[in-house]
Amino acid sequence: MNKAETKNILVYIEVADAAPVKVSLESLAQAKRMADEKGEKVIAAVIGQNIGDAAKEAAAAGADKVIAVDDAAFADFNLDVTADVMMQIIEKEKPEAVFVGGTQDGKDLAPKLGAKCATGCASDVVGMKLDEQGNIDFTCPLYSGTVLEDVVIAEARPQIATLRSGAFKKLEEAGQGEVVAESFTVADDAVKAKITETVKELTESVNLEDAEIIVSGGRGMGSADNFKLVQELADLLGGVVGATRPAIEDGWVPRNHQVGQSGKIVAPKLYIACGISGATQHLSGITGSDYIVAINKDEDAPIFSVANIGIVGNALKVLPVMIEEVKKIQAQ
Amino acid sequence: MNILVCIKQVPDDSVEVGIGADGKPAIDSITKVVNAFDTYALEMAARYKEALGDDSEITVLCVGPDEAKNSLKNCLAVGGNTAYLASDAAFSGSDPSGVAVIIKDAIAKLEEDKGAFDLIFTGKEATDAALGQTGIYLAEQLNTGVITNVIAIDVKDGKAVAKQETDEGYRMVESDTPVVLTVSKPDYDPRYPTIKNKMAARKKPIEGFDASILADPSLVGDAGAKVVAIKTYEPPKKEAGVKVQEESDEDSALKAIGMMVEAKVLG
Ligand SMILES: Cc1cc2nc3c(=O)[nH]c(=O)nc-3n(C[C@H](O)[C@H](O)[C@H](O)COP(=O)(O)OP(=O)(O)OC[C@H]3O[C@@H](n4cnc5c(N)ncnc54)[C@H](O)[C@@H]3O)c2cc1C
Repeated sequence: MNKAETKNILVYIEVADAAPVKVSLESLAQAKRMADEKGEKVIAAVIGQNIGDAAKEAAAAGADKVIAVDDAAFADFNLDVTADVMMQIIEKEKPEAVFVGGTQDGKDLAPKLGAKCATGCASDVVGMKLDEQGNIDFTCPLYSGTVLEDVVIAEARPQIATLRSGAFKKLEEAGQGEVVAESFTVADDAVKAKITETVKELTESVNLEDAEIIVSGGRGMGSADNFKLVQELADLLGGVVGATRPAIEDGWVPRNHQVGQSGKIVAPKLYIACGISGATQHLSGITGSDYIVAINKDEDAPIFSVANIGIVGNALKVLPVMIEEVKKIQAQ
Repeated sequence: MNILVCIKQVPDDSVEVGIGADGKPAIDSITKVVNAFDTYALEMAARYKEALGDDSEITVLCVGPDEAKNSLKNCLAVGGNTAYLASDAAFSGSDPSGVAVIIKDAIAKLEEDKGAFDLIFTGKEATDAALGQTGIYLAEQLNTGVITNVIAIDVKDGKAVAKQETDEGYRMVESDTPVVLTVSKPDYDPRYPTIKNKMAARKKPIEGFDASILADPSLVGDAGAKVVAIKTYEPPKKEAGVKVQEESDEDSALKAIGMMVEAKVLG
C-alpha cells in the first residue's frame, strides 16, 4: 500500500459473548492516543453476528467510526474469512496502521493481514510512541521479556501490530463515534481452512487477566491433593488460581489457569507463588504484578529475585498457617 | 505422505538472556537448541509417520547460520529422514516475511526431487522472539491453508484434519493439502534420541541452499525486511524484596502475613 495515501488507525474488535474483548478495547484506546497525536481518526471493525451492542460499545470506547459487519455467515471466527473481510475494509479505508488485540485468534489474524498487504507486523506490543518520521515505534518483548526491542515498520503500510493484553489502559470517557453498517461477501475459494467443530472443554471461565489477587502453585506443591491449599487460599482471598505449566501437565489444575509466556500475562495487585521456581517463561507473565509473595524451600530460587516477600520454607507448612491467619483477620 | 518440518535454532530457553556490552542480546555463549515448539512439531510428524507405518518421509529444513547444522543433526536423530540448511549472508536480517520467502523458495527446490509436500509443519512460535508469524506468512505465500496451535493431526480423504487448541477447548479444522500446520505443546513430550540414532544421524549429510534459490532476492535480508529493529535494551528490573526465614515455617508464615498486612496487600 502506498505510504502517502494511508491515514488513520483501524482496530479489529474481537467479540465474545456479544461484547468486545478487553484487549480490543485497550487497543482502541491506544489507537485513539496515537491518532490524536497525529490528528487522525480511529476506525473500528466489528465482524460477527448480533454485534450491534458490541459496535456501540466500541463507538463509546475510542472509535470515531465503527464499521459493523453483522452477518450470520460471520457468526464464528474463521481466520480466512475474517482476514478476507478485513482486507476489503483495509483496501477501502487505506489505514496507516492496523491494531489487533493479542488474543489467540488476533495473533493469527495480524500476520495473515501482514502477508496479504505485503507489510510487516509487530507482535505482542507492550509500548509504543511516534518517532520523528511519524512512524509508530513499537516496543516488543524478546526472550520471554528479559529483553525489549523497539521496532518500526518504516516504509510498508499499513503498520500492523498485535497488542499485549493489559499493556495499555482502556479509556473511561472516550466520546461517541458513529456506527456504520456495512456488508461484505467472501468468495468460497478464499476459505482454505474450515472449522468443522468447536468444543468447549473447560466450562469454568478463568479470568486471570482481570484478577486483583492470584494465588499460583507450581510443581513444588507435589500433588493434586496438596494443590488444594492453593485453591483454598485463593478462594479465601476472593482471588483466582494460577499455575505453572508442570502443575497443569500433571493434571492438578486445568490449563486455562496457566500463567506465563504460553499462558496468561497477569497484573494483579497481589500475586502469591507457591512452589514455583521462577523460570523466565513464568516470570514473563507475572512481572506486571504490584506485589509478589513467593514461597519456596530453595533460598536460591529465581522467583525470589522478583518477590517483595520471599518466604524460604515448605509451602505445605506455610500455606495452612497463612490460611488460618487470613481467616482470623477476616473474622475481625 | 511427504512431510516437511521447518525448524529454527534458538538459544536454550532455560537461560535468561540479558544485554551484552555491545548493546545487543548476549546470546553467543548460550547453547543453541532447536526451538521447543519445533521439537513438538517434529515429534508430531514422527508419530504421524509411525502411525501410518508406510514409506512416508520427513524432511527437516532450517533457515539459519552454518552452526545450525548441529540442530539439524539432532532432528535427524529423532525422526527426520533428511535435513537441509538454507544459509547465506544475504539472509541475515530477514523478518518473518523474508524467512517465509526463503522457505518457500527452498520448498520449490526440494519439491523438484521429492515431489509436492502434503504437510508443512512449523512450531507455533519460536522461544526467542515469540512472533508466531512465519508459518502464517509462509501459507499466504504458498497460497495454502494454515492451521495454527495444532495439537493433533490426521489426513482423511486427502484433507488434513487438525485439532487446534483454544483457550477453552479445541476446534477441529479441515484443509486441503498441502497445508501449513503450526504446532503448540501437545500432551506428550518429544522423544530423546537413542545412541544408535545419534550415531546414524551424525553420518548423514546435511545439504545446503544459498541465495541462488531465491526467485526475488529483494524480499529477504535487511533490505527486504518490513520490520526494522531500532534498539534492544533490558526492561527496568523489579527489585528483590526481603526474605523471610524464621526458626520454623509456621513462624515464617506469621511474619510474612504481618508484613503483608503492613504493606496493605492483605486485610
Ligand atoms: C516453549 C515453552 C513455553 C513455556 N511456557 C510456560 C508458561 O507459560 N508458564 C509456565 O509456568 N511455564 C512455562 N514453561 C515451563 C517453564 O520453562 C518451567 O519449566 C516451569 O515454569 C517450571 O514450573 P515450576 O516452577 O512449577 O516447576 P519447577 O521449576 O520444577 O520448580 C518447582 C519449585 O518448587 C520448589 N519446591 C519443591 N517443593 C517445595 C515445597 N514443599 N515447598 C516450597 N517449594 C517447593 C522447588 O525448590 C522449585 O523451585 C514453558 C516452557 C517452554 C519450553
